[in-house]
Amino acid sequence: MKIANLNLPPSLGKILEYWKLIVTLLLLVIILWASIFQISTEEVGVITRFGKYVRQVEPGLNFKIPFAEDVYKVPVERQQKQEFGFRTVRAGINTEYSESSSAKDESLMLTGDLNLAEVQWVVQYRIDDAYKNLFKVRNPQSTLRIISEAAMRQIVGDRTVNEVLTVGRTEIGSKLQELIQQICREYSMGIKIDQVVLQDVNPPEPVKAAFNAVNEAQQEKETLINRAKSEYNKVIPKARGQAEETIQQAEGYATERINNADGEAARFTALYNEFVKAPEVTKRRIYLETMSKVIPEIGNVIITDQKGNNVLPLLQMQMNKKTENNEN
Amino acid sequence: MKTKSIVIGILVIIILIGLNSSVFIVQEKDQVVITQFGRPVGKAIVKPGMYFKLPFLQVANYFERRYMEWNGDPNQVPTKDKKFIFVDTYARWQITDPLQFFKRLTNERGAQSRIDDILDGETRDFIANNDIEEAVRTSNRIPESSDTEIVGDSLAKIFVGRDKIQQMILESANKQTADLGIKILDFRFKRINYVQEVQDQVYERMKSERFRIADKFRSEGQGEASRINGEKERELKNIQSLAFRDAEMIKGKADATAASIYAKAYDQSSQSRSLYGFLKSMETFEKTFDGKTSIFISTDSELYKYLKKMD
Repeated sequence: MKIANLNLPPSLGKILEYWKLIVTLLLLVIILWASIFQISTEEVGVITRFGKYVRQVEPGLNFKIPFAEDVYKVPVERQQKQEFGFRTVRAGINTEYSESSSAKDESLMLTGDLNLAEVQWVVQYRIDDAYKNLFKVRNPQSTLRIISEAAMRQIVGDRTVNEVLTVGRTEIGSKLQELIQQICREYSMGIKIDQVVLQDVNPPEPVKAAFNAVNEAQQEKETLINRAKSEYNKVIPKARGQAEETIQQAEGYATERINNADGEAARFTALYNEFVKAPEVTKRRIYLETMSKVIPEIGNVIITDQKGNNVLPLLQMQMNKKTENNEN
Repeated sequence: MKTKSIVIGILVIIILIGLNSSVFIVQEKDQVVITQFGRPVGKAIVKPGMYFKLPFLQVANYFERRYMEWNGDPNQVPTKDKKFIFVDTYARWQITDPLQFFKRLTNERGAQSRIDDILDGETRDFIANNDIEEAVRTSNRIPESSDTEIVGDSLAKIFVGRDKIQQMILESANKQTADLGIKILDFRFKRINYVQEVQDQVYERMKSERFRIADKFRSEGQGEASRINGEKERELKNIQSLAFRDAEMIKGKADATAASIYAKAYDQSSQSRSLYGFLKSMETFEKTFDGKTSIFISTDSELYKYLKKMD
């Protein structure tokens, strides 16, 4: 070799002696470098040969024909999200959000009854068909944003403002997911919508107070009704108890009355049965017994011979004196 | 020897350059039209892969094969019911005939500008021919709401609807793009909104509507409370009067029973009747005489007749 004749250190001369081998090795390294590639766990690799799609490879170490084949790495496992009406400034434990005016434009929309509402939502999605995502639609991400906005407005446009703000929330979420998914399929975007989450849904700032007034009035209504109900509950059971008491008292009276009657009747009948056997004597006995019981209780007993007319004035005087004594 | 190797070297370089100029690759996302001095040659290439052309003389013109975006210019448009609204639209489109596309529109920018003309015009026409509701609403669905009647929110009846308008604009536009080598896949309203000046009026209307609803809630609450109160009064009177009636009935029945018991005992015969009268008198004596009573009794009486004479 001519080069070997140059005056070089022997070690370098030795390397130059094997230059063919070195070049071959270098070529091999370059070819290997161009044919080996790595796919991360969340990706798949789409391989094209001279521009034409040939196969798809899974995560790990993979080979391709160098210089003829190209690899496109697509993160099919990664869940991605788009935010509408707000932006996450810094995610973390206390995530910060911002609402710029362009984000406000995204969220402000017309409801079916021609009112305005501000709706914020999040679309979570994955790429489920790498081939379509790469080769069927240009700018699939920005397309998805536009689809989401149009779909949300279509759905909100078919509902009353009251529905959008209150009862319809979950339904809107699921309907929106359905609609976005359907349009994505029409466009062959290769995107699968995992979830649509409605965030804040509010009336616009200038009318918020009026909407709050409705809520307050609703609360007020409930309060009024509850108060009336509690008054009802306070009065009626008590009245029922009192009614029960009145009836029980009447029952008591009835029992007493009948028992007394029974007793008295029995007593009379017993006496009568004896009386019939000796009416004269019995009657007299009772009379005298009564008198002997009664007369000692009486204040003045005057016994007269005749009709008693002439003793009356005397009696009067005596009685007067007695009352005077009592008064003193 | 030396010149020979130089010539071979030059030849190789020329061949390489020629090869580089004649081989071209069509990607999955591309389609290609070959032109020779500006004139299209042969059919358009729509399948990806490696292709050959004449070097230097022929040029490969690349076009997108994917769906492309088109964004409308947000436009202030009056509706049929004379409401000014902002309409922001978008469409997806595709080059379906690259050859025709190349002839008519040359490139994507030309296409975008043609689509602008067509779709913006169609949008304007259709919006102007319909009431605002028709562009906002899609269907005549009945709003589901727990208190719709109270709130009084309702949806006006529509006859065309958003979907149908979009569809009609799409069809009409596609008729006009038929010979341009493009197809509009989908057309939609992205945003429809009131213009700023109208927006404030809308807010005022919304406010008055909400206040009306609030008043309705309040008056309903008062009405319901009064109803409950009335019910309470009625129930109270009902309970009390029923109790009084029942009590009186019970007492009356007892009185009657007692009377019949007494009558049965006392009314057995004339003797029993006189005995009853006698006993009652005795009882009355016992009850009515006390220390304040003065009586005088004739010695003729039964009690003291023996005082006069023993007989």
